[in-house]
Amino acid sequence: MNNRLLIINGPGLSDLSNFNEFGYDDLTLEKVQQKCLETCESLGLTLEFCQTDDEIELTNYLTKACKEFDALIVNPVGYSHASSLDFDIYTSNIETITLQNKPVIEVHIANIFQKGIDITRPIKVSEGSVGFVSGFGIHSYDLAIRAVNKKLRKN
Amino acid sequence: MNIYVINGPNINLLGSREPEIYGHDTLDSISKECIKQGLKDGHDVKFMQSNYEGEIVEWIQEAIKNKIDAIVINAAAYTHTSIAIHDALKSFSGFKIELHISNPHLRETFRHVSFISPAVDAVVAGLGADGYSHVIELLADLQKHYK
Repeated sequence: MNNRLLIINGPGLSDLSNFNEFGYDDLTLEKVQQKCLETCESLGLTLEFCQTDDEIELTNYLTKACKEFDALIVNPVGYSHASSLDFDIYTSNIETITLQNKPVIEVHIANIFQKGIDITRPIKVSEGSVGFVSGFGIHSYDLAIRAVNKKLRKN
Repeated sequence: MNIYVINGPNINLLGSREPEIYGHDTLDSISKECIKQGLKDGHDVKFMQSNYEGEIVEWIQEAIKNKIDAIVINAAAYTHTSIAIHDALKSFSGFKIELHISNPHLRETFRHVSFISPAVDAVVAGLGADGYSHVIELLADLQKHYK
């Protein structure tokens, strides 16, 4: 059976016109999804791609990732440092997945550090490991999918 | 594309240095993998390592002078201290990528700030030694579609 990959896109990512200022003109989430589907298909991964603005729904997706998926890619936007959701719930959910030795990678379309190194804080877990890819535009997802695939094959 | 892969201090110890963090790949095996991946895509990859900050700065200046297309830099511990490397990278107009084998944000707090990150186009961390070849594989696509 194919390995199952869940890609979660956090709040605000249904509209990618904000990324025009970074030079990613005409980028839409549909285009990102299409590219992810193509890459996953070529690697033999089964993909579920979702986006949510709702913090509870995001938590539900993370719980689902623990049970039903082999790997997780998450674009948390500003979530990891600016969420009203109990931060512990969020990190502990991710930690549950990393503790199962499933690959988890945080992705961002733009380089989140270009606006200053003090503003942004990537996802932190105390157990297991999370990969980090930021600034390749639509290709951030591509790189993350390839890395996930390689790691799944090694496991 | 002409690509410089620049590695900072202690990376020559890979394979024996804290393998639970950095894995068992050696610098030599990573270098061979990068050059092999580059050849596949028609890139000329120059793989370098230095323990000296100034030498790294000079290599970046050489990349500027030689109009190199892309720099992949793992500045290792200098990531968290070197404004000189930050400045040199700012003057390089090609594509620049910061790379780390582990994810520094999951480690000691003194590794949480990177002076390199604001000076580069993209950051890759925590993908292990495979991160290098993944990035080089992607560069051909980036050249076609990115800027």
